[in-house]
Amino acid sequence: MKTLIVIPARNEGAQISQVVAEVKNCGWEVLVVDDGSIDQTAVLADTAGAKVLHHRINRGQGAALKTGIVYALGRDFEAVVFFDADGQMLASEIEKILEPLLLEKFEVALGSRFLGQTENMPWFKWVTLKLALIFSRWSTGLKLTDIHNGFQAWSRGALEKINLTQDRQAYASEILHQIAAQKIKYTEVPVTIKYTAYSKSKGQSVFNAFNILWDLLIKK
Amino acid sequence: MIIQLILIFVILLIIIKLFGEFRKGQINFQALVAWLVVWLAAILAITYPRLTVVVANRLGVGRGVDLVVYFSIIIIFYLLFRLLLRLEKIEREITKIIRELALWEDGKK
Repeated sequence: MKTLIVIPARNEGAQISQVVAEVKNCGWEVLVVDDGSIDQTAVLADTAGAKVLHHRINRGQGAALKTGIVYALGRDFEAVVFFDADGQMLASEIEKILEPLLLEKFEVALGSRFLGQTENMPWFKWVTLKLALIFSRWSTGLKLTDIHNGFQAWSRGALEKINLTQDRQAYASEILHQIAAQKIKYTEVPVTIKYTAYSKSKGQSVFNAFNILWDLLIKK
Repeated sequence: MIIQLILIFVILLIIIKLFGEFRKGQINFQALVAWLVVWLAAILAITYPRLTVVVANRLGVGRGVDLVVYFSIIIIFYLLFRLLLRLEKIEREITKIIRELALWEDGKK
């Protein structure tokens, strides 16, 4: 199954070379969407062997992922895996998250850190995620164990059914709503998420939850 | 009172400008009518301040001014909401352009 690993990145100069190298070493094709970085992210990603697309202005993770999706659908990729640029995910788990798609049992595989494991997760992040999960279960009707986990595998067919309009962090909630609305066959896969000082400094502030709620309200 | 004359004069200028914008096609007919209603009501309220008191009392509100303020706030909230929607749309369109640019640049390589 021809697979593309899409890595949205903004100012990840410190990690991007290593992340791209790790993914390529596992044998995957990598696309880095440089979302308006002002550092050397694009050059470093290119040197590490990734295909790079540039957003001249920063538009948000949702927008960057969609650009990656449009790129993949414009070529003959049969599956796309979303992967983070900050080193929180393990390239070795890409194979695991694609399995449900390979077996053709599901169209989408969503990574779950609560089914899998986490390293050094800050307690307030845990609380925020759990609260967000309650809200999400009510709002989308999907019985999930994790939310806003960027580690996901999508089949071409499923990607063609969705239409991402949220540019920023609210895309994660939008994706779930569309999975529910389009009745896409999904499953959860245990994955590992490592929190390091670096990734914690790049991560979303918990207050972003309010921004996301706001975005979702306005969009409706 | 002088303040009434000044306010009405300013509003008349605004109305003239409105018609100008309509002629130039910058606003559509519905917008023209809607704003005309608003400004004419404003002129009415300014010329006959006691009108607002009468209407207010009918509606169970103490002062005419209070009534005007209540309505204004509702209208402002509504306009603000529409503005936010408009902004959202513009943001989405910017993203579309940036995406097209990114893919186009790639195609040129």
